[in-house]
Amino acid sequence: MSGRARPRVLVAGIGNSDRGDDGLGPAVISRLRGEVPEGVRILECSGDVLALIQEWAGFSTVIVVDAAAPLGQAGRIHRLDLTGEPLPVAFACSSTHAFGVAEAVELARSLGRLPSHLIAYLVEGSRFDIGAPFSPAVAKAADRVAERILVELSRISGARQPEGADRHA
Amino acid sequence: MATKTVKVDYIARVEGESSLKIDIRDGIVDGVRLSIFEPPRFFEALLRGRGFGEVLDIVARICGICPIAYQMSGVHAIENALGIEVDAPIRALRRLLYCGEWIESHALHIVMLHAPDFLGYPDAMAMARDHKDAVERGLALKKAGNDLLTLLGGRAIHPVNVRVGGFYRVPSRAEFAPVEESLKRARDLAIETLRWAATFPFPECTRDYEFVALRHADEYPMNGGRIVSSAGLDIAAADYETEFLERQVPYSTALHSVLKRRGAYLVGAMARYALNRDRLPAEVRALADEAGLDPVCRNPFRSILVRAVEVVYACGEALRLIEGYERPARPFVPAEPRAGVGYACTEAPRGVLFHRYRLNAEGAIDDASLVTPTAQNQDVIEEDLRQVATASLDLDEDAMKANCEQSIRNHDPCISCAAHFLTLQVNRT
Repeated sequence: MSGRARPRVLVAGIGNSDRGDDGLGPAVISRLRGEVPEGVRILECSGDVLALIQEWAGFSTVIVVDAAAPLGQAGRIHRLDLTGEPLPVAFACSSTHAFGVAEAVELARSLGRLPSHLIAYLVEGSRFDIGAPFSPAVAKAADRVAERILVELSRISGARQPEGADRHA
Repeated sequence: MATKTVKVDYIARVEGESSLKIDIRDGIVDGVRLSIFEPPRFFEALLRGRGFGEVLDIVARICGICPIAYQMSGVHAIENALGIEVDAPIRALRRLLYCGEWIESHALHIVMLHAPDFLGYPDAMAMARDHKDAVERGLALKKAGNDLLTLLGGRAIHPVNVRVGGFYRVPSRAEFAPVEESLKRARDLAIETLRWAATFPFPECTRDYEFVALRHADEYPMNGGRIVSSAGLDIAAADYETEFLERQVPYSTALHSVLKRRGAYLVGAMARYALNRDRLPAEVRALADEAGLDPVCRNPFRSILVRAVEVVYACGEALRLIEGYERPARPFVPAEPRAGVGYACTEAPRGVLFHRYRLNAEGAIDDASLVTPTAQNQDVIEEDLRQVATASLDLDEDAMKANCEQSIRNHDPCISCAAHFLTLQVNRT
């Protein structure tokens, strides 16, 4: 990469750790902490998804990680490229706040503020009760999503991963 | 006999989950029920047995939009019970923190949630294609408020820095520099937002509300003052439960509050402005005049202008407080447990928020009562809906639904707070 600008990548984990499987995003961020290549910023977003539009300014690639409503298989991982396509209706968020990921992405698209590449990892959850633990399937999926993101980051940045990353690769 | 039911199954662009059912009998609106189906969260029960030092982090979790309001009413009520008076710089810092919440909460509602109603868009995403500058202003304002919350509260959502007696940590003067610059720009953006909103088409509507808000000797109210009303009420927070009653209704998980002697009343920006316009700086009053606001606004559709005026004010007030900031000699005054009852009302963005706590000798919570602005406005929202639905009887169902949803958003209800979104059902018989 010498002589070239290192890609600036943001990984944002969205969710509330106190609401069961909704904590998927922060859990993945926790697994990525200390493991990501140089030039990658990781971020937990616990409520104000709209703020993401400003957070991802200047990043060429953004990966968002969020829990999705059940679609039939708890723990199933969906990787979606939202750069040119809106989030499918099936994944529109059931947010108690007025703006979820789908709305933030489409607002950014309307404003011309989408990053060059926007990837979403969505994991189907099964329980979102206050104070509930992860369902076993989503806990496993958090590990697998972190592994897949590290592989993706390695490919994007072309950089050697720091020591310790291989246990996730 | 002709009957018809109009039903909105899910009200969008409000915080929380609710539905609306309107019964029309022989061409007359016979019943309006705003039903909140978000489950009750039992925060008052959750607080029982907790130490007074835990309360502020728990109540901050009630709402992601207005956590400061819960922390401010909570901290003042507990300090009231413990007989604590905080130092003046701490009081100023709490007012500054509240300015941040008013800015972020009002900016979100004005631009992202309410403005699409007036301009004929289904949502902010569609509006942004044609009103990019306005939406960018809204996002920038929201960020300025959030930056202030992050600096003083530790983080923008569910902040953690407020404690009984003061703050865990107070910032240095130098730490305010970036926020100060952001707020200077935000004040200009707020004025542009007010002027933008003043161009909206406003439906004709006049309501004879009893306005209820705090009134302070010399401040536009946030953290202190007596509870006053346009009908002559003038009481201390400790007398709140003497004059007001929370009651259950069978069709909703939210409580409805009434004045025991007169029934429905309105809290929030319109009430604050009507009862405290003289506490606004002259330049802010001049901007309100320029926007076409009367000294007392009784058209709920124009509440968006009042909120926009309050954003201008909050930006200016925050800058004033930062300019006068000197780092407090101590971040908090010590708090010792003792038995007692404490009361406080503060002005959340959506209106008066009442907290009462009874502490035992060990400082644990024996009993708590929290009355939210949205619970207090429930009856008024239903009365507004009855008037709006009556005026919409000749419209098709979609148009009636749109008018009703806009009417609800006039009061920026925070359903999550009240329950403890909207399905509209209109029954015509």
